[in-house]
Amino acid sequence: MRFLFSAILIALLSAVAEYFLPWWSMAVVCFIVALFINERKVFAFWSGFCGVAVCWLAVALWHDIPNEHILSSRMAILFHLPGSWLFMAASVLIGAVVGGLAALSGAMVRPKR
Amino acid sequence: MADKTKKGRFNIGGWLMVIIVTILVYLLDKPLGSLPALGKLLDPMNGCWANAEPVNKDFSDGHKFEGLKGASVWFDERLVPHIHAGNEHDLYFLEGYIHAYFRLWQMDMQTRAAAGRVSEVAGQKALEFDRRQRRKGMVFGAENSLKTMEADPRTRLIMDAYTEGINAYITSLKYRELPIEYKLMGFTPEKWTNLRIALLLKYMADDLTGKVDDIALTYLRGALPKEQFELLFPQRIEGATPAIPAGTVFERPSLSIPVAPADSVAFPHFTPSDFGEPREDGKGSNNWVVSGARTVSGSPILCNDPHLGLSLPSLWFEAQLQAPGINVYGASLPGTPGVVLGFNDSLSWGFTNNYRDVKDYYLIRPVAENKNKYWFAGQQLDFTKRIEHILVKGQPELTDTVNYTVHGPVMYDDNYTDKNGLRKILSVCWMGHRATNELLAVYLANKAKNYNEFVDAIMNFQCPGQNIAYADRQGNIAIWAQGQFINQWKGQGRYVMDGSDSATLWGDLIPPHENPHVLNPQQGFVSSANQVTTDSTYPYAYNNGGFVNLRAWRINEMLGKAHKVSIDDMCKIQNDVHSYLAEHMLPGMLSYCTSIDEPFLNGLRKWDYNLSAESADATLFQLWWKYFFEGVWYPILGGHVPYSLMPLQERTMQLFLADIHPVKGFHVDGYYSSIVIKSYAQAVDSVKNIANDRGGLAQWYQVKNTSINHLAKLPAFSYDHLKVGGWGNTINAVKENHGPSWRLVVQMGKEEIEAYGLYPGGQSGNPGSKYYATFLDHWVEGKYYRLLFLPNAPQQNNERIKYSWKVN
Repeated sequence: MRFLFSAILIALLSAVAEYFLPWWSMAVVCFIVALFINERKVFAFWSGFCGVAVCWLAVALWHDIPNEHILSSRMAILFHLPGSWLFMAASVLIGAVVGGLAALSGAMVRPKR
Repeated sequence: MADKTKKGRFNIGGWLMVIIVTILVYLLDKPLGSLPALGKLLDPMNGCWANAEPVNKDFSDGHKFEGLKGASVWFDERLVPHIHAGNEHDLYFLEGYIHAYFRLWQMDMQTRAAAGRVSEVAGQKALEFDRRQRRKGMVFGAENSLKTMEADPRTRLIMDAYTEGINAYITSLKYRELPIEYKLMGFTPEKWTNLRIALLLKYMADDLTGKVDDIALTYLRGALPKEQFELLFPQRIEGATPAIPAGTVFERPSLSIPVAPADSVAFPHFTPSDFGEPREDGKGSNNWVVSGARTVSGSPILCNDPHLGLSLPSLWFEAQLQAPGINVYGASLPGTPGVVLGFNDSLSWGFTNNYRDVKDYYLIRPVAENKNKYWFAGQQLDFTKRIEHILVKGQPELTDTVNYTVHGPVMYDDNYTDKNGLRKILSVCWMGHRATNELLAVYLANKAKNYNEFVDAIMNFQCPGQNIAYADRQGNIAIWAQGQFINQWKGQGRYVMDGSDSATLWGDLIPPHENPHVLNPQQGFVSSANQVTTDSTYPYAYNNGGFVNLRAWRINEMLGKAHKVSIDDMCKIQNDVHSYLAEHMLPGMLSYCTSIDEPFLNGLRKWDYNLSAESADATLFQLWWKYFFEGVWYPILGGHVPYSLMPLQERTMQLFLADIHPVKGFHVDGYYSSIVIKSYAQAVDSVKNIANDRGGLAQWYQVKNTSINHLAKLPAFSYDHLKVGGWGNTINAVKENHGPSWRLVVQMGKEEIEAYGLYPGGQSGNPGSKYYATFLDHWVEGKYYRLLFLPNAPQQNNERIKYSWKVN
């Protein structure tokens, strides 16, 4: 339950933070959420990972579908990837890893009760 | 944070993790080597994803700008803006805003390129390019022109408004709205300035007057016997059809023609092998106008297709500009106000490059005991020093002191040698260094109501020299070989000149109204395709700066036969890929091959001489010609002379047809026979090799590989192997990376203006937009769009208008 709650919280807060602040604001969001919501480290990591992944995937799709993949196909060629979906996966993965690690670090510095 | 240490147990592992994450974020936020900042770039909210433009984006919008009265912008289905403003300030403000809206990165990069400021954003790899731009005196020229442009209240007003419009857009931008190239290269736009407008105009001038081979010609002239040199490199191609029709009567010159100094005084001799810039044969343009006497409608038709380097985003941006007293449509140049090529509600015009040589090199004799002085007219003069600071991304700044002489900047010296390593000091004197105001010409031409006003306008067009074709709704046709030229002595500046002698100095300016021109000539058409400007009766002297004639022969042949032509016929001529060279060379070449029995040869015997995209015969001929050409010239000139400086194709053809020995200079029966046979074998070998690779005979477009590359050379944003025929010497002059950059066919009817056109690209510079390369397919197929020319009115009711902006 806590896992789901913090993942959703991360996804929402990341979207809001990134709208106003640079991309790495989502790492701060993950850190803070993990700092305050008491979870096991492994769950903290996955909540950050999944939260950011959902947020980034949703926003990427929101851009990509109305664009009919014009841009993502070109970017895939630029990065020597075989398809636009892989470019999307790579984008989401990078964000998710950063989010996961940031949440993990939040959980790790959290003082024990 | 304080509460974490409350229990006194400092969590080393946790904080280590925080540090690791911080480092990770830091690394993803910065470009690493050639990789862009990945985190920043891939972030869907602000990174490249934000540049994915919805394919059905509604461009309609309301805009508020301080200081503007009401205005409207209507976009048609091709996203061409039709701007209607209440005054000129607002009009050019909006043009600037819209140029930036669609093409900001391109404008930024091209003006950076002009100024030699590419390394600042691209790093070390652009340094050589930047140094060259500084040495050429690009900024020096732009600053000179800017003073003149700002001193004229008319150009001052439109530049200020235009710059203001661009800056209004730049300041409104958030990071996520930046063009994608900024995100990839990791920089941000800086404020636009009027200097950038001047720089862009100099960039065009340099592109169109840069074909200078004085240095190489100086060497060749010393290396070859005089008769042979004249035989291979004539100033005027035999049988040339000048742009101003032969027989046109020229006014008496108002200036007396200076007497040439002795050859030994004027021209130094070189021995080292320095060959300057490559000569791109067949790079040029076409324009022509047929008078109403030759058209179905009875109205004149003007056609223009300037051939330039093709890139994406395109050089051109289509626009219509309306304000009281102005209603003009055509190709605008993002980065400068106005419409450069097109038509207004009274008249139309087109440009082709005029290759009169306006760039000369001078050998500078430094004073032996004082490095800061040089000899001129028996005196020691001080070099004027200009210190160029070149910022290089990720590297310390580089400074280069460029010396200026009475002639211009020292292009080559010990600190900066030509790539072939000529160890001499050479100063360059270029018309583009002078204070000129081409923008005024554009501005006035856009508003001109008749021939006289148009002529007054183009008198201000000084550099690059252009052959300007003209047609109006009254039925007049004309052509002006326009530019600012020097009253030279015959041969002045053809070779590197002695810069210490005052006799070589550039003289008086020729009054521009004495430039060669013709109004309503007897022949009923005018045309130009980069051939020699006039016949030999033109009183002023000028040098061949790259005249060619193959396209001109073909165009004149076709227009000479044209009766009752339609717009459609004109479009067909623009897309003509008939090779004049093949038509004249091939029968002779084949006559030497009677003993060869091969299917390839039979194909060529039936070939129509068209370099069509899918023709395999065209591939074979083009290869055969290449090997033949090399077979003629390599044994004679090879080793000393780069390919680009070989005699012209035209000259080679003439020598072949007359069986003239290229060294001896007289008729030698069958001299070329063995070269023809050998080159044929080489061509067949090549054809077979290519065929093996591809499994089938190689079609011409596959071998040619016409590509339109993104300005940053990113293949992902580029197009290659376009299925298009032609070559530099056919009217549809599509080469690998050059070709018709804008096609216009416009009929100037009394009742109606009917215009068709396009350029190989799209209105949007965003590779993530549907409109990035929308016109490319039509361009490849030789199709046209009917251009929407709206009446000058504040309200429009046209079904082709898809989006509109309401301003204030």
